[in-house]
Amino acid sequence: MSRRPARDPGLQAERTLLSWQRTLIVLIVVVLLYMRDPFSDGAAAADAAVDPLHRLVPALGTAALAGMLMAHLRRRWRGTDHGRHDDATGSPPAPVARPWAMVLLSASVAVLGIAVAATAVLG
Amino acid sequence: MPSSASDQDRETGGGSEPDYRFTLANERTFLAWIRTALALVAGAVAVLHLVPLDWGDGSRLTVGLALTALAVIITVYAPLRWIRVQRAMRRGRPLPMSALPLITTVGVTLVCVAVLVGNYWP
Repeated sequence: MSRRPARDPGLQAERTLLSWQRTLIVLIVVVLLYMRDPFSDGAAAADAAVDPLHRLVPALGTAALAGMLMAHLRRRWRGTDHGRHDDATGSPPAPVARPWAMVLLSASVAVLGIAVAATAVLG
Repeated sequence: MPSSASDQDRETGGGSEPDYRFTLANERTFLAWIRTALALVAGAVAVLHLVPLDWGDGSRLTVGLALTALAVIITVYAPLRWIRVQRAMRRGRPLPMSALPLITTVGVTLVCVAVLVGNYWP
């Protein structure tokens, strides 16, 4: 393909990048929600009490993951002239992130879900 | 590099690179599924850890674990669906049907029923 659009008329690449950012923000919000203290200090709160230091692990892990994915997206975004063209194909970069980034995101959401269930069952 | 390996893998699958807009739409659909899974996890966090509910332990755990299970199913299925759609587009085949919307609908309906049970017959 030799066509090299000056600007993607539908801003598809940009929309996809925004979609990535939205998803990563939701991921961070859900982890913060998970680490929050229960609304009441009832019986349910007492048995769910976790060492505050242990709560830092998922927070830092998610922050590192989100930062890594963000850096990956940024690098690709800059390398493709702000989503205008990929040097290999000439058309805008597709997908915006590499497939491994998608698999990593899926896996981390799965781990988060399993952690939520496990701490409820075991706690 | 894993990316070049997977690219090569898809090369051997035959066909040609689809229009980048379709690839990007596929990627956005994948991300929307991930956000759906995250919303379900948020619901599970609320039921299992955050909101004080005077439900029986049975309904609480049922609702929370069902939400989590649904989220995990979606996170496993979403990348597979992305690859399948991508492959179908490369070969110009019709897009594969996915059981995911049906699974999600049925699952969320069952969770709603369990919530009603938890609220009125704890």
